[in-house]
Amino acid sequence: MAAKEIDLKAVEEFLADLACNKVGPIIKSKSGSQQNYELKTGARNVDIVTTIDKQVEQIVWNTLKSQYPGFQFIGEESYVKGVTKITDDPTFIIDPIDGTTNFVHDFPFSCTSLGMTLNKEPVVGVIYNPHLNLLVSASRGNGVKVNGEPFNYKEKISSMGTLQLNKSIVGLQPGSAREGPNFKCKASTYQNLLSVDGGFIHGSRNLGSSAMSMAYIALGSLDAYWDGGCYAWDVCAGWCILKETGGRVVGANSGEWDIDVDNRSYLALRGAHSGEEQEKYVKEFWSCVIGNLKYD
Amino acid sequence: MVLTKEQLKEVETSLIQLAQKEIGPLIKSQSGTKFESYEDKANNVDLVTVVDKKVESIVQDFLSKKYPDFAFVGEEGFIKGETKIGDKPTFIVDPIDGTTNFIHGYPYSCTSLGLSENGKAVVGVVHNPHLNQTFHASKGNGAFLNGECIQVTPRPLILQKSIIGLESGSERAESPGSNFETKLRTTNNLLSEKGGFIHGSRSHGSTAMDLCYVATGLLDAYWEGGPWAWDVCAGWCIIEETGGIMVGANPGEWEIPLENRRYFAVRGGAKKEEQTWFVESLWSHVEGRLSY
Repeated sequence: MAAKEIDLKAVEEFLADLACNKVGPIIKSKSGSQQNYELKTGARNVDIVTTIDKQVEQIVWNTLKSQYPGFQFIGEESYVKGVTKITDDPTFIIDPIDGTTNFVHDFPFSCTSLGMTLNKEPVVGVIYNPHLNLLVSASRGNGVKVNGEPFNYKEKISSMGTLQLNKSIVGLQPGSAREGPNFKCKASTYQNLLSVDGGFIHGSRNLGSSAMSMAYIALGSLDAYWDGGCYAWDVCAGWCILKETGGRVVGANSGEWDIDVDNRSYLALRGAHSGEEQEKYVKEFWSCVIGNLKYD
Repeated sequence: MVLTKEQLKEVETSLIQLAQKEIGPLIKSQSGTKFESYEDKANNVDLVTVVDKKVESIVQDFLSKKYPDFAFVGEEGFIKGETKIGDKPTFIVDPIDGTTNFIHGYPYSCTSLGLSENGKAVVGVVHNPHLNQTFHASKGNGAFLNGECIQVTPRPLILQKSIIGLESGSERAESPGSNFETKLRTTNNLLSEKGGFIHGSRSHGSTAMDLCYVATGLLDAYWEGGPWAWDVCAGWCIIEETGGIMVGANPGEWEIPLENRRYFAVRGGAKKEEQTWFVESLWSHVEGRLSY
């Protein structure tokens, strides 16, 4: 299917409607009600999967299949490691409930994250947090909307001053894998970013949701987000939204300027006054990374 | 003098009015607009703005007229070594809690208005104008979110199943035994699969909001060093009214004064023994000692 045949704006609106009217109410009404959750096995046994997560994915899948039968579908729950691949086809990449731990604990930062790629590039993104009633959506070339209203990101960025490491607040979340080299790399990098003798960033914030962290960057509440262990569905929607506000996503490790959606480790940053300002920020940030994040 | 329940409720109502009508709109309209105009305080991460001072003077004027016999302790007027919290009723106020959030437009700045009597928190109002949330309580009168009674759902309280508010704060000097080191090590121990292996940590950069989230049970606990009495006074009262407890961040600190600087709040919705057990389990992962 050629790109010009797909009305990305229509896809964005369809996903926004699905997020607000079908998925959102389920998340909101069930948040904090699932005390008897399953624990995933192995490295991710802090990462909780609930029955609701699976139910929501089914609803999303069914709805999208009937509206866009020719599109591929990748969801957190149906993903099979080593088998599921992102191709050039138009592909919905979906996290039914991002921030499952938040969802279980009723911490108000669970959301649904609905994205679409074309030629492996994120071109539609919809993030809806029903607790804060916050809908952030975008499609390639069409800008960003907040709760359906166009968001003036240029004005926001021009009011924000220079993007520089020691003036930035950065989203940092330890995630669910809590031993081994990646956990060590994260802990030492956090320390180095925070330390007076290191990056000395203004502050770190931990929302427990990749999608919300990226939405907050797009809105100008955070300057950057650095993480490893995420999957394509955690970042696809946010990536598109960020790009539409002049933001960038590169790899978490030094030198990774060009990465795929399923890179598993990411550094996302906000729009700035120039591309050079962003590149300088990325380089300064990478210089604080101790070790390497690596995922199978 | 000991204030009655009715008197405390009256103060609570005045503070809500003040927070929602006077302070909230100011915080909301100015948040994220002062990127280039902050002064340096202790170091250049802890930011105090012109607005912070303006808000404090509005609060102080209002309260000194309405409650001329009460003392006042505010973040901006505080003088280290001189300002003391006495036994008489004392307003303890953080005009804008989460100043870094305020500067950056991150929606977790709020105003935190508390009252103490005999050194204990007896009224607390925390208003976040971005999320339009007002948490409020007074001793013996229960705790409320936007007028609705807060009731923490009873459920098991276990370290490994908990999410805990952990902030890195603004003091980040690395040296052996420093507070920053103690925090990093303890955080690491709590997260590690070989340590506490908690479900998760969360950070929003506002002590008052963290405490309110513990009060409502959205967080199971909050462990921190560095905050001042004005950061915790309001939240402390709200937590106690929802069945939660506040102890010190260092092991063994069961009884602490308002200005302890090291705090550990645990939610309600659990039995006293469960809370005690939770406190002791978390303390067992504290590596080093926080001191201020």
